[in-house]
Formats: sequence, structure tokens, C-alpha cells
Amino acid sequence: MERPIAYDKLAREDRLVRMRAREVAQLKVDQGLPPFPDLLSRDSIKERVHGIMVGELQAMEGAGRTVYDFPDAPWEFTMDMARQVWDESRHVEIYVRLLEHLDGYIGEFPETTILWRCACAEDAAARVAGVNRGLEGLACDVFNQLVHIARKMGDPILERAVDYVLADEITHVRMGSKWLTRLTEGDPERRRRAIEFQETIDERFNLGGVRREGPHDVVPISIATEARREGGFTDEEIARLLRTTQRSAVY
Amino acid sequence: MSHPLAGHLEVDDSARTVRHYRYVVERMTRILGGWIALTPELSAKLLMGRHVWDNAQHADAWGKRLPELRAAAQVSEPASEQLVGFMDALEEAEAPGQTIERVVGIYRVLKPHLLATYEAHLARANAVYEPPTCRILARCIEDERRHVTAGETILRHLLRSAALEERARACEARLWGSLQAAGGVTGAGPVTRTSGGSTPPVLSDDASEFIRLERSTGRWPIAAELQAALTAFGDALVAGDTDAARRWLTAAAAPGPEMQGRLRDARGGRHRIVAVARVGAQRLVKLRVEGGREPLTLLLRCVSDGADWRIAMLEAVSASAAQLA
Repeated sequence: MERPIAYDKLAREDRLVRMRAREVAQLKVDQGLPPFPDLLSRDSIKERVHGIMVGELQAMEGAGRTVYDFPDAPWEFTMDMARQVWDESRHVEIYVRLLEHLDGYIGEFPETTILWRCACAEDAAARVAGVNRGLEGLACDVFNQLVHIARKMGDPILERAVDYVLADEITHVRMGSKWLTRLTEGDPERRRRAIEFQETIDERFNLGGVRREGPHDVVPISIATEARREGGFTDEEIARLLRTTQRSAVY
Repeated sequence: MSHPLAGHLEVDDSARTVRHYRYVVERMTRILGGWIALTPELSAKLLMGRHVWDNAQHADAWGKRLPELRAAAQVSEPASEQLVGFMDALEEAEAPGQTIERVVGIYRVLKPHLLATYEAHLARANAVYEPPTCRILARCIEDERRHVTAGETILRHLLRSAALEERARACEARLWGSLQAAGGVTGAGPVTRTSGGSTPPVLSDDASEFIRLERSTGRWPIAAELQAALTAFGDALVAGDTDAARRWLTAAAAPGPEMQGRLRDARGGRHRIVAVARVGAQRLVKLRVEGGREPLTLLLRCVSDGADWRIAMLEAVSASAAQLA
């Protein structure tokens, strides 16, 4: 099997329409819509949940590739990544069921592969930094906010299911923090490159100011400071992320 | 009756057998992980996703058993070069259209053989001094039986025609022959298989539920006017009436020479909608045309002016191997 695989090898059923994130955002902006779904209506929550569902699909695929792509990494690393595959496969099922709960269907919105592209880094340290800390950190932000919104709108199904997924995601961030350190021990240059990669992902997913500090029902994506801390982000890293959200002006 | 302290493996032999198990299980874990991204069908993706972790835990348990047998921890060792060849052949099925080969290789060949091997080992293991090995075997047997049953459920879903059944049989025969030639996972034979039997699924690992999720998109909520426009456009394409087809396109979507050639290939085929996504008020539709000169999948961006729908963007996209059941 090819190792690693090219971005465009990601296999999909016909019912999913794949499109670049910026094209989708542009189509929305052209129609006077926000580029990223807010959480103000059941329909926009459904769109957000669909986006998370395909994100979980790509996270499962990405973790699976990490199990395969790095046979020489420490065995405990493979174990953590295999565990993550299992978690993400359950998350896919959870979000497909939540989509049904919200009267949606798989393929109702286009799939963007921006997450998958981040999961294709060729170095294991960069991959865990980018995926487990950058993307799973984003997942913590999004899920933490969704739990609060679900509680506010009185949807215990959404609230409880997403809260369990959030607990898993914090575990994945913790794995990322652990392996970023272990894989780069004695190699500061490798660590620097991995962190740089993570920061480019953080910057990209600030989505031009969409992600920022603020109340859950006011800002489009609120930063889950506490969940991030539980996952091993330092106060300094959280402060840096908050600073970058203030300067990301372009989507 | 044999003596309660009689055994069939020396300590060193036991460690070697454990390394052979670990080789196969570790490699299977990695292969399943790598295949998930290459497999279009949701049911098969979830099947593999669920089992990667079980298999990693088996490999880990075998690896941790090794130091207890005076051997280095977490070491894998193939039983023979032929077995490496078998695993290489198993791993070859990486094209999107080879899901059947992937599932057959793991769930009709390797796992049933592993299950039979584990069961035979457990039956012969000494109950007095080998319980640490027996406990691992018992856990692996329970999981593998469940996996084989789940894999068989997914295969019944995937094998929708006689031709696909034949493909599965051919793949199974080829890989089984290779595994037999290798003397099985231990290299010492006998090379046998055990079915999963009627293991009841657990909710978190229910293959029939994976299939339901794959089939969950049955019909699309699609406006009658849009449906009519797409039908007329598709009908015009397969009739070879490019002027009539163009009537449904906006000026921006006028096809260039290459696309015109692709559209001509649709003549004589049948068309159907395979995806409908929405972006605001616009719709992204995949129209698949089969039976013409070349199969074609078109991605259409459809916009409404309030009365009529028109296609504002049209491009050919690569078709997935996975057609919904």
C-alpha cells in the first residue's frame, strides 16, 4: 500500500459532494450568508453537525493512516492512534445519528477536505501536532460550544452525546501533547517544525475571526479554554491562540 | 488421560508462536487502519474502524506476554517468507473499487484462520502453567468470532450480484491457497478456518447498523421544478441533443470543447441523481450517466431565479466505486 497516500485518494460514496472550503464559503458569501454556519437556528446547527460528521470521518481515516504510515514509531504511539481510530469511528456513528435526530441526511451539505489535508503531514510529530492538537483542539472548541447551545435550547440528546465526544477529544488532545513531546525529544528542530505546522492549522481554523474568545451564544466559535487546559495546552499556548484570533482577518 | 502437567510447547516455542501471532495481528492492525481512507463504503469503513483497536490490543497483549516467556517484549516475527508473501498479497487490494477483496481477505481468510488457530491452541494449552496465554487466547477468540460474524454481514451487503460473488470467491481461493502454502500463521499448520457462528452483535459493534447508516440517504428532498429541470437536462444528454441540454445552462456554464466531448459520450446512456447537497439556496447535484460510450458523473451547481432552475456550473468528477444499495 502506498505510504503516505495523496490527498485525492480519499475514497467516498457518490452521495457526498466534495468541494474546496473556500469555494463553499464564497458561494455562501455571494448569497449574503455567513461563510461558516452559525448556531442560531436548527437548520444552521444541522449544517454544523454535518460538517462535524464529515470531520469525524476524516479524523478516523487520518488516525488509521497514522497507524499504517509510521511502522517504526514507538508501539505505544501506534496503540494511541489505534484507540483514536476506534473513538472516531464511534463519533462518526454518533454524528450520523445526530444528523438523523435533526432531520438531516448524509450528503445534505458539501464535504470539504481541509481537515484531511492537515492529516497528511509526512512527519509523525507534525501529524500529531496538527491533528491532535490543532484539529482536535478545534473540535474541543466546537463541541464545548455545541453542548452549551444544546443545553440552552433544551435538547438533551444533542447535549449528552456531544459531551461524551468532547471527553474523547480532550483525550486525543492529551495524546497529541504527549507524543509531540516524546517524538521530538532531543530534536528541537523537528519540534519547531511540528509546532509551526500546528500553528498554521490554528491560524487557518481561526477562520478569519470566526473563532474567538466570547460567550457561546454570541461568537460563532468560542474557544474552550478549560477543555484545552485539560488536554495539555499550557496557559501560554492558550494565550497565543487567543492573540492569533485577533489578527486573522482573512478567511 | 494425559498428566495434568503435560504440555505441547516448550517455553521458547511458546514465545516463538506468540511472536508469530503478533506479526500477523500487528500487520493486520496497520493494514486495516490504512485501508479506511481508501474504502468508499461507510459500512466497511466503520467495520474496519471498529476492529483496528481490538486488533491493536491483541498485538499488545501478545507483545506483553513475551517477557514472561523469557523473550523481548513487543517483538513480531513472521513464521516464514511465504507468510510475508501472503500478507503482502492481502495488502495489495488498495484501489477504491476493491472493498470486496479487502473484506474477503481479512474476514473470510485471515480472521477465520486466526480464530481456528487460537481455538486449537487453547484446546491444547496446559491449564496449570499456561493460564496467562490462555486468557489472551480467550479474549482474542471472543473478539475474532465477533469480527468474523460482522465481516460476513458486511460482505452479504456488498455482494449484490453473481459477478461480485464470483469475484469474492476467486479472491478467497487465491488468498487461502497462499495462506495454506505458508502453513498458516504459525507456519506449522494445519491450516483451518472457523466461522463466527451466530455471535449476537453488541450495539456498539453491530454491522447491520453500519449498513443501515450507509443506506440512510434514500431519497433527497428536491423541489419538483428542479427535478423536472434535471430530468430534462439528463434526457437531452442521453438523447445526444446538445442544444436541448444547453438550454438548461447559464452562459457561465457553457461547456468548453473537452467537456462537449465528454457530454457526447453520454449519448445512449441512462441518467440518475446520486447526490444532492445544498449551499444556501443553491443545490449541488451529482448526475451519473451510465450505459453510454463512457460512464460519466457530472457535478452541477443549480440556481433558481425564483421560477426556473438553471445549471450555473458543470464539471466532470471522478465517480466513486461505491454505489448506494
